Amino acid sequence: MNSILFGILTIVSLFIFMNLGKIKASKKQMNRDDRIKWNSRRKPNIHENRDGSKIIEGSAEEISDKKKH
Amino acid sequence: MSKHSALNTFGRSGNPAFTRNFDNTGTFSQSERMTLDGAVNKTAILLGLCFAGAFVGWNVPALTLPGLIIGTILAFVTIFRNPTKAGSTAPFYAAFEGIALGGITVYAEMQYPGIGIQAIGLTFGILASLLFCYKSGIIKPTENFRLMLFSATMGIMLLYLVSFIMSFFGSGIGFIHSNGLFGIGFSIFVVGIAALNLVLDFDFIEDGAEKGLPKYMEWYGAFSLMVTLVWLYIEILRLLMKLRSR
Repeated sequence: MNSILFGILTIVSLFIFMNLGKIKASKKQMNRDDRIKWNSRRKPNIHENRDGSKIIEGSAEEISDKKKH
Repeated sequence: MSKHSALNTFGRSGNPAFTRNFDNTGTFSQSERMTLDGAVNKTAILLGLCFAGAFVGWNVPALTLPGLIIGTILAFVTIFRNPTKAGSTAPFYAAFEGIALGGITVYAEMQYPGIGIQAIGLTFGILASLLFCYKSGIIKPTENFRLMLFSATMGIMLLYLVSFIMSFFGSGIGFIHSNGLFGIGFSIFVVGIAALNLVLDFDFIEDGAEKGLPKYMEWYGAFSLMVTLVWLYIEILRLLMKLRSR
């Protein structure tokens, strides 16, 4: 009896996995700001100047003469 | 020099199975992209191979140790050497781990009849219930969640490694294997950590499918899920053996 119950549990669980696994997760799960960033190892695109200072691409801002004054 | 250079290089978590192979986002046609369907189907294939291997291991228990060693080597090859070839290595990993699990289950069944089906039922029961919790948003994995799980998993692995090395000198860490309250509590903790690792696997697969990673990542996601399921099954079996031996 014990084995039959656990056997049924196994089959039902596999059925749930096969069907539920193919459905996209809820918006509550997907649209969060604190989601895991799985590609966080990607290095930022950094170039080094001759004087040793570093410029991160996309972060540099051009300063016009108008802004200076 | 940025004071966050280590963080930029390694990310918040150094878990190689999850972070090494996620930088391959690019432009692929729809048929070359990872999908949820593909990842689930490939997990089913790996589970089928694992059960087939377990049938062999059940009938020829002498293959347990070779199966375990070859399976472990294949796992390391898949993670560290060539993840793009996960489609070739993961099926062999599943088959060899299946042989090992079949042999281990025979050993457990000889001592406690009926324990194998209980462990299988509980493993898949946890898989289905955690998948529901993840899909519905009841459990929300965050960076801190990943960091906590990674620390706990590495701590457990280190403890097992120290215990394994100490066993060569006739010693060991007693409470890991004891059937006392502390030993059972430790096993429940390890089962909990192994189960929560499933949530990370679900998130890894979901995120990969959403970002449209290359097709081979379906095999890699299925492989990650398989590694966690094998660990969870072994830990549940150990916990049940401790409980039955009291």
